Amino acid sequence: MELLILPLVVGLISLILPSYWSKIFGGIGAIASLVLACIHLSGFDPLTQTILASSNKMAFGLTFNFGYDAFGLVMVMLTNAIIPIILLSNWNRELANNKLFTALVFFMQVGLLGLFTAQDGMLFYIFWEFTLIPIFLLLYWFGAKENNKVLFKFFIYTLVGSLGMLLALIALGSSANSFAYADLKNVQLTQEVACWIMSGFLLAFAIKIPLFPFHTWQPATYTSSPMAGTMLLSALMLKMALFGMIKWMLPLTTEGIEIMKWPVIILGTIGIVYGAIIAIKQNDIKTLFAFASISHLGLIAAGIMLFNTAAWSGAVVQIINHSLISIGLFLAADILEKRTGTRQLSELGGIAKLAPRFGFWFAVTVFAALSVPFSAGFIGEFILIKELFTFHVIIGILAATSLILGAVYMLRSYQLSMFGAPKIAAFEDLTWNEMAVFIILSLLILGIGLFSSLIIEYTEPTFRILTETLTSNQQIIE
Amino acid sequence: MDALIVIFLTGLIGLFVGMQKKPKLNLLVTMLGLVLAFILQLNNGFYTSPLSSYQVLEFNISQLYFSLVAIAFCMLIVLGGFNYFKRDSIHIGDYYGLLLFSLCGAICLIGFTDLFMFFLGLEILSIPIYVMVGIKKQDVLSAEASIKYFFTGAFATAILLFGIALLYGATGSFNLIEIRGIIQSGEYQATFLFIGILFILGAFLFKVGAVPFHFWGPDVYQGSPEIVTAFMATVVKLAALMAFYKLFNGTFQELGNFWIGALYFAIGLSLFVGYLGALKQTKFKRLLAYSSISNTGYALFALLSLSNSSLGSLWIFLVGYGCATIALLTISMAIHNDNDEISSFKGIGYKNPFIGFIMIISLLSLAGIPPLTGFFGKFALLMNAYSQHLYLVILALISSAVGAFLYLRFMVLSLSKDTEAESVSISIWHYIVLGICAAGILGAWLIVAI
Repeated sequence: MELLILPLVVGLISLILPSYWSKIFGGIGAIASLVLACIHLSGFDPLTQTILASSNKMAFGLTFNFGYDAFGLVMVMLTNAIIPIILLSNWNRELANNKLFTALVFFMQVGLLGLFTAQDGMLFYIFWEFTLIPIFLLLYWFGAKENNKVLFKFFIYTLVGSLGMLLALIALGSSANSFAYADLKNVQLTQEVACWIMSGFLLAFAIKIPLFPFHTWQPATYTSSPMAGTMLLSALMLKMALFGMIKWMLPLTTEGIEIMKWPVIILGTIGIVYGAIIAIKQNDIKTLFAFASISHLGLIAAGIMLFNTAAWSGAVVQIINHSLISIGLFLAADILEKRTGTRQLSELGGIAKLAPRFGFWFAVTVFAALSVPFSAGFIGEFILIKELFTFHVIIGILAATSLILGAVYMLRSYQLSMFGAPKIAAFEDLTWNEMAVFIILSLLILGIGLFSSLIIEYTEPTFRILTETLTSNQQIIE
Repeated sequence: MDALIVIFLTGLIGLFVGMQKKPKLNLLVTMLGLVLAFILQLNNGFYTSPLSSYQVLEFNISQLYFSLVAIAFCMLIVLGGFNYFKRDSIHIGDYYGLLLFSLCGAICLIGFTDLFMFFLGLEILSIPIYVMVGIKKQDVLSAEASIKYFFTGAFATAILLFGIALLYGATGSFNLIEIRGIIQSGEYQATFLFIGILFILGAFLFKVGAVPFHFWGPDVYQGSPEIVTAFMATVVKLAALMAFYKLFNGTFQELGNFWIGALYFAIGLSLFVGYLGALKQTKFKRLLAYSSISNTGYALFALLSLSNSSLGSLWIFLVGYGCATIALLTISMAIHNDNDEISSFKGIGYKNPFIGFIMIISLLSLAGIPPLTGFFGKFALLMNAYSQHLYLVILALISSAVGAFLYLRFMVLSLSKDTEAESVSISIWHYIVLGICAAGILGAWLIVAI
């Protein structure tokens, strides 16, 4: 439990501390949680599960069960590693000295960690909703002015989605008479009911990921948020939905997968192509990255629906990779915006000459986003596309276009902003903390690209257990 | 029973103490009386007082919980309204006396076992409120509210009385258990019984302010002083819903198929009329009035289960709703929002972190965001109704999204950064009330969950 309590305590204390302490204190707190997560990692055997807290059934079959398997622990590690990076990239901004900001980031971390370790349906839902509050306040207080409309759209959209999930959980929980994960998983459903329940979950997840027709909240929200808000949203909050699909939605409603995988895979594939094509035409660099994110996540979501261990291994590598590159890309976008006052590609140009270090590290991030060999994305995308190809040739081909189209929009954005005749007189090069973020990210991406088999082998037993349900059911049918 | 007597006597003494024009003394007497009543009522669960054998009132464990909450809410209202009472010290005795008399009615309404006591309780509850609504004599809106509430209320009472008479005609008894027995045995006069039940249902929907009998709500809430609004929205609603629950889910349970259709209609409309009506409001208390209509719709879900299982859910929902409403009205008093505009809340929460925190949790609790009591209340009610009334549950979820938008907009307004609002000094009473409300919102669900 100390995993959850630590960030909560850090968040509460930073509310009380005077403002000039909040930056240092936040940094120490974030590092401490990372160390704590590493301790958990070192004492964990991927073949088992760890129980953090458990209780008897309370009213309505609610329980207070926390724990993680290998996949949950990977997500916990990811969260606790990303939070310090976000704080570091924010280090030289005004915002870092705001105690309210620091506290909200840590409350966000509590929500995420709770979500990744929840072993009870209602706890999962509670943390899912809880994360909305800090991110909403973060975007509202520290985002662009006059962004009320955008924020309401974001909040109401995600809330409506999660109400669908609440209904699905109530349906499952009332037939199991319990909300504990193991009990929910044991519920036998007819195919029709399973499809309905899965659509309830999907409503929540599709809006958060976001899948193609539910994505309209995303670009506007990204552009109007402060940098840290965008990073939290894209690097961590969207991953909640992917985690939910793997850990909750599919294992609980295996009976409906055969039918429901088609619409999701098709929507995901549409998202891949659609997001990429829109991104090619974008002039606003943050909107461009937002659509790129839709394209990347469409691929992961489609891969997850294949419901097999190999595709999920690809998905988990790609989840980590996407978190890392989205931080790099949004940091670069924010650097451009802060120092030139514009996000429009047409007004930028020639910055590589003015700021060679930024030019170099931005290029590294862009290449990571392109999934060049030796980067983490290469492994992730390769596995996912291969699995989609095995599933259906046309979908495989469409999914593979993401590689080509991705090259087009990424290189275009880089070329327009960094090369050509300088349109801006002066551009301050990277500060030490931005440099450090880029270096850490590049090392991580490279490291995961070279040693991705470690993650794949680590999570494989968990995924085998989670996907087992389907095989046993199929055997019954045969 | 002894708690009831203590409250009544305290009210009576309060009237005399009020003549001294010493607000603090009056507050002390009233609070002492309420605390004593609370303790006596709490003890009721552990020993049987000689008075409690009186046949027409009965407090078993759930009635006990409801009456304790009613007394606690009354304490919060008395404390939170103290600054207001001080300004209006001519009426201070009247206020305290009337509040306590009304509370007596609420407790009768929670514990009745007999239609006669039920009617008495309802009248004891209502008549002091008619007076309190109109207590600001100089204020046109207050006078209007009082007249409106009194006339419509009297009309509803007449219908209720007619319903009770018909019920007596059909079954020949006032006692709830006997009536239930007669309904089960089938030896009743069907026409009279059904018309009687419909009349009682109508009167109840009026009292709790559900659609289609909701029109008095916004005007009356707006016209009354904040304390009275808070009392109506919490104690009155709590008592009336408890009585509603007991009568319909207990006594008329066998005839569920007959009245549940009408209730469906009322719930479905309440859920949306309230929140949609609230979207365009600019007055704070009108907003609360409309939101209370929708919240009544949620509370009525408890009746759909046709069993005793949903009483705990109703309780936790009403606690969450009551704490949030009292907190919001107390904030409105603390910032001296005399013109009752929503816009005067702008930036208040950002400038005063404590108020901001309370605003955030109470509005999010009303919106049903976990892990706050409001969420668990809604969750428990919907969970009970889920298996038989799926479509109504879906409607409720949709309406709660509308409600979330509404509350969120209000929250955002109060947290706005660019504002001329200044930090206000909060009196110690308000700190206490807001602190207790916050504890209720954050933690009351633990009582039911464990």
